[in-house]
Amino acid sequence: MTDEKTQVQDVDRAFYDFRDEERDSCRIDGLTGEIVEQISGEKGDPDWMREFRLKCLEIFNRTEMPDWGPSIEGLDMDHIATYVRPSAQRMNTRWEDVPEDIRNTFDRLGIPKAERASLAGVGAQYDSELVYHNIREDVARTGVVYTDLESALHGEYGEMIRTHFMKLVPPTDHKFAALHGAVWSGGSFVYVPAGVKVEIPLQSYFRLNAAGAGQFEHTLIIVEEGASLHFIEGCSAPKYNVANLHAGCVELYVGRNATLRYSTIENWSRNMYNLNTKRALVEEGGKVEWISGSFGSHVSYLYPMSILNGRGARSEFTGVTFAGKGQNLDTGCKVVHSAPETSSYVNTRSISKDGGVSTFRSAVVVNPKAENSKSAVSCQSLMVDDISRSDTIPAMDVQTSRADIGHEARIGRISDEAVFYLMSRGVSEEEARALIVSGFAENVSKELPLEYAVEMNNLIRIEMKGAIG
Amino acid sequence: MAKVNVPIAKTFGWLGANGTEAAVPGDRRTEKVRLQAGETRTVVLETGKESWDWEAVLEEGALLRLIQLTGDGGENVNTVRVTCGEQARFEWYRVILGGGPVYDQCTAELAGDGSSFTAEIGYRLSGENLLDMNVEAIHLGRRTKSAISASGVMSGESRKILRGTIDLRKGCKGSEGNEMEEVLLLDPRVRNRSVPVILCAEEDVVGNHGASIGRLDEGISYYLQTRGMTPEEVERMMARARLEAVIRKIPEEAVRNRLLETEEKDA
Repeated sequence: MTDEKTQVQDVDRAFYDFRDEERDSCRIDGLTGEIVEQISGEKGDPDWMREFRLKCLEIFNRTEMPDWGPSIEGLDMDHIATYVRPSAQRMNTRWEDVPEDIRNTFDRLGIPKAERASLAGVGAQYDSELVYHNIREDVARTGVVYTDLESALHGEYGEMIRTHFMKLVPPTDHKFAALHGAVWSGGSFVYVPAGVKVEIPLQSYFRLNAAGAGQFEHTLIIVEEGASLHFIEGCSAPKYNVANLHAGCVELYVGRNATLRYSTIENWSRNMYNLNTKRALVEEGGKVEWISGSFGSHVSYLYPMSILNGRGARSEFTGVTFAGKGQNLDTGCKVVHSAPETSSYVNTRSISKDGGVSTFRSAVVVNPKAENSKSAVSCQSLMVDDISRSDTIPAMDVQTSRADIGHEARIGRISDEAVFYLMSRGVSEEEARALIVSGFAENVSKELPLEYAVEMNNLIRIEMKGAIG
Repeated sequence: MAKVNVPIAKTFGWLGANGTEAAVPGDRRTEKVRLQAGETRTVVLETGKESWDWEAVLEEGALLRLIQLTGDGGENVNTVRVTCGEQARFEWYRVILGGGPVYDQCTAELAGDGSSFTAEIGYRLSGENLLDMNVEAIHLGRRTKSAISASGVMSGESRKILRGTIDLRKGCKGSEGNEMEEVLLLDPRVRNRSVPVILCAEEDVVGNHGASIGRLDEGISYYLQTRGMTPEEVERMMARARLEAVIRKIPEEAVRNRLLETEEKDA
């Protein structure tokens, strides 16, 4: 196997499937009060956080599983490692200080290379802990903070974290938000002071190496008035025969007239239950842009939510979901218009093949306060064969007459005429179909930085390989 | 109390749209009919003062036109279930002009190849009216077609939920499902919930849905006001036009005229 990420021959996704020998210095399985206390102790939590974790566990125990999405019966919480500390003793800011085996993992994924080429800062999480964090000096000088959430908790931003942590996504939101609150570990804290525009993106990369483990990182981003940021998140894991769980949480606070773009290329292995919660609160004149590519995991529940809280706040969601064999990806978004003159735009594509199931699920809520608000939702699905499944379940709840809400959806197949035309120009059928699917997903790829768009298109080509016959 | 209008596919629980608790009357009227091959029949069902469980089986090439009306009366909980054989056609005309609360479930099972279902739904809700609907087109046969079209006007503190599901099941090759909803909102206190669902387990099919929810187009309203109409007159005229577009499609002349007269009087 080569280290080249763009090899189309990697049909079996072997590129992401390499795994390191597990040499964890600490691994905790299961979920009880003692275990939560133990994790809290390992982390050196302040008292309020330890109490918060225990409260979350209580909420987890009394909250029912959702009754509307894909089955998560294969997930046995008693056999999921809720905390795995890799051999790295602590978070490093110098790449050379990261233990060699972990460094190799990220080298193979191209993370340090990307950092040198095009990023303002990088964070890398391995199992339950962040092992590396770095930010370019010139960016740090403008007052931008990009660090791991846990050390920030004990530093000068401790109080800011306390007033924002799980306030947007309360543990009562759903069962896995409560689970996250109880056992969260790792993740990033980003603070962009008022007026600072971060021109090049920051990135976090999450790698889950341990078999049968959960990853529960928490990402907290605060972009103050008039500031702007592009944050990129990438995830992958090797394939195991036992279920892995990702129940992360992302909370984004977008200040007045601030802009935040949050891009994700999710490529978890296909034994992963991806039950992630993402939410943004947007103040007056602010804007949040979600770019979301979902390719991996066995089961996904993923609906980034935008709460438009100030006059003129905006949100855009651009997503593509590709469900292949053995995958049931339930993705979409939620928008709550809570202030006048807010607007939202949702544009998604989903593709199902080889027996995969993709579901687009959305909710647009327009509260009585949201006068003169506008929302447009467009979702398209492509069925590549007749053994797959594609569902579209949007919902709109409009509680004022002073709004304009539009919605359109379409499910169809690859047009034979288009394939025939391309073949008449000398393109093979397989290439033609891959080309059409890539074009179908262009709404997302054109919004990504070039390297990521190339990676996404390669993922589509890999998936489409052998899609005929 | 019992849960009614439970859709085939659920949305997020917190939206409260995955079925509704309703007091289902014990004395519901029931009827089961069977249309012979090639038969055409028009049925008018008044579901205002009483609730109905209505069922039909359409044999090959049969055509059923079901005109279901609610104009006044109290709470009614209705179910309509129609199974279509080969080339059979089911046309459902549903007009609600107040009354209620109305809980309506309508399921068309397109079992035979080439069968079709069209739903023309028109409603005017005001005051504290409640309309709660669940419409399902289940495509089983090949080359089946469904078209669900709803057009409504809401004012006062009225509430409405419309769940419309196009379910393209495995084997329904060459089928097409369409759903369109237009809702005109005239009062800031209304609440409209729409859940237009397409489920698809087949490749060679097409499913479309579109929805447009909101106030009157400002351009049209402004233009008509420049021609001398007051804003209230414009609203009334546009609301009437929406409903009349549905009413005029009703194939039974006597019913159509009666509804048009009612409309005229109310306007």
